[in-house]
Amino acid sequence: MTHYYGVYSLLASLLPALGIFFIFTICDDLIFAELIKKHIPKEVVASKDYNFTIVLAQINNSVEGLIFGTPPQWVTNAAEIWISWIHKSQIITVIICISTALISGFLGYKKISGNFRSRNAVEKIVMSILAVSSVIAILTTIAIIFSVVFESIRFFALIPYDEFLFGTVWNPQFEGAERAGSGQEGLSQYGAIPLFAGTFLISIIALCVSVPVGLFSAIYLSEYATSKERAFFKPLLEILAGIPTVVYGFFAALTVAPFLRSSGSLFGLDVASESALAAGLVMGIMIIPFISSLSDDVINAVPQSLRDAGYGLGSTKNETVIKIVLPAALPGVVASIILAVSRAVGETMIVVMAAGLAANLTANPLDAVTTVTSQIVTILVGDQEFESAKTLSAFALALTLIIITLGMNFYALHVVKKYREQYE
Amino acid sequence: MNNINDLKSLELTVGDVFSKNARLKARNVNVFYGNNKAIDNVTIDIGSKEVISFIGPSGCGKSTFLRCFNRMNDTIDTCLVQGEITIDDENIYDKKIDVVPLRARIGMVFQKPNPFPKSIYDNVAYGPRIHGLSENKEHLDVIVEESLKRAGLWQEVSDRLESPGTGLSGGQQQRLCIARAIAVSPEVILMDEPCSALDPIATARIEDLIHELGNDYSIVIVTHSMQQAARVSKRTAYFHLGKLIEVGKTKEIFTRPQHHQTEAYISGKIG
Repeated sequence: MTHYYGVYSLLASLLPALGIFFIFTICDDLIFAELIKKHIPKEVVASKDYNFTIVLAQINNSVEGLIFGTPPQWVTNAAEIWISWIHKSQIITVIICISTALISGFLGYKKISGNFRSRNAVEKIVMSILAVSSVIAILTTIAIIFSVVFESIRFFALIPYDEFLFGTVWNPQFEGAERAGSGQEGLSQYGAIPLFAGTFLISIIALCVSVPVGLFSAIYLSEYATSKERAFFKPLLEILAGIPTVVYGFFAALTVAPFLRSSGSLFGLDVASESALAAGLVMGIMIIPFISSLSDDVINAVPQSLRDAGYGLGSTKNETVIKIVLPAALPGVVASIILAVSRAVGETMIVVMAAGLAANLTANPLDAVTTVTSQIVTILVGDQEFESAKTLSAFALALTLIIITLGMNFYALHVVKKYREQYE
Repeated sequence: MNNINDLKSLELTVGDVFSKNARLKARNVNVFYGNNKAIDNVTIDIGSKEVISFIGPSGCGKSTFLRCFNRMNDTIDTCLVQGEITIDDENIYDKKIDVVPLRARIGMVFQKPNPFPKSIYDNVAYGPRIHGLSENKEHLDVIVEESLKRAGLWQEVSDRLESPGTGLSGGQQQRLCIARAIAVSPEVILMDEPCSALDPIATARIEDLIHELGNDYSIVIVTHSMQQAARVSKRTAYFHLGKLIEVGKTKEIFTRPQHHQTEAYISGKIG
């Protein structure tokens, strides 16, 4: 147990120093920003265009050597002061960190004696490191949701939420475009229904592919395959889950879509070159491993005793699977399908590449449709004016999507949990 | 079935392995799990309407041997059964035999109650449905009621046939499993330690039931409890390390065992 004394003194000297280092590196910019206010000339502050964020950005650009045109003299001066602060703060940080490490290490070392329970102390330190890590993960999630929520609130200040939720036309335009053509107020329309309809159309096509294939392969793997076949096929199937979605996107846009188009024309059907069908089919292939892998797990979790009971009564293998194993595994299978749906709804790359951008409200899988995620991508890619309703609409879409997928995940986990209780 | 084989097994087994009105006959049965020999040259008859118990220490192969009678060992890939087992002089390991009707003739009750996650009614109706034993709904109702009555469960569940079978108590679940097994009117019922997961009161009820059912069916019961074997069965077979050591009338096995290993087990020296 002696090595715990060593571990304890190492942790005791390193952790406070590391903590101080992180606080310093995070906080120095904030402190400098506060201090630099004194070095901005009064007449600049007094002027009516004054915006501290912009001034700060100017100074920061000068600090980093990104000089556009000739900045005013006071900006250059402030930047020089800033640079001198950086040097000072680096030296101070190093000194403080080393001295903290020495002092706390010395204190920790002094604590060590025959009576000191270093194992328990290390245990506590390790536990708090683990706890902090999980808190970081949770806080990040909350922060992401809040950032989307606040931007969405700004969007709903511009566009009424009932228009967003129930409008059937999606036609976002920039403020500039609206203003330019006078009398074109109301040109922009933010009805999200076509986007969600497109998302669900593609998801349904994807499910039509992935549910039968995924479920049947799960049944084959868990009930019929020998353990050797299972060890070979299961990882192969899971490779599908490892293919980057952008590759599926190529496949959809360059292989499946032209194939559908040419075979459609054989039957006299007019298939759009970017069709919901192509995107949905490929997305279905993408989510097969989700369904097969999860369903395989829940089917395996059905107790062997139930199968024995079935065989003991003279059921064939097929009867046992259909009448006993599947009904018993059904809640878990449903949960895996819900998880796959939430994956399909949130999928972006395939639809961006294969589904098109036309916000058609249609149930025809041969038409081009667009989805929530591909609209978010198109809205946010490239230079955008941040104050406009068009840009902000991306956040409202994202918020709705988060709520839908979170709800589905939550429900699926609930179903799985209920199912587990049944057999434990 | 020939005399030489019979003599060979008699060298091993003490007591009376044959029965006058035998329904099931096992002759020189060997069972292998991979390279492991789990059952070594066992010969025994199981009489018509006879309750026989298999006793022996854990791992002696009694459950494995029990599962040979309805070919449940077929579900285990590495398991190989040699020798001959006949029901009414028909070899059940013959290639022409279909295990599905065979398992309908030889029912099984397992160690842990394993009702299907379905209603009580559907649990009992499962067997008759897959074997097409009922002509119509009324007939099926009759079969279900009759089976539950014989399993001594009818009074407790008659008003809630649609509630899930998994919601019953452990003892009730096991009686439901027995009802499920007798619903397909088997000739033989195999019971693999049917009371080991139950409390004493539930055990007593099941034992009474086995007693009653013994009037109509051949019952083979594997048990760890010698008291249980003494209470429910007329004949007892003692297994040790895959060998059938001794078979005889239950009374005699427990009072005057002929083989020293049986005596050691009965008196608690091994097991």
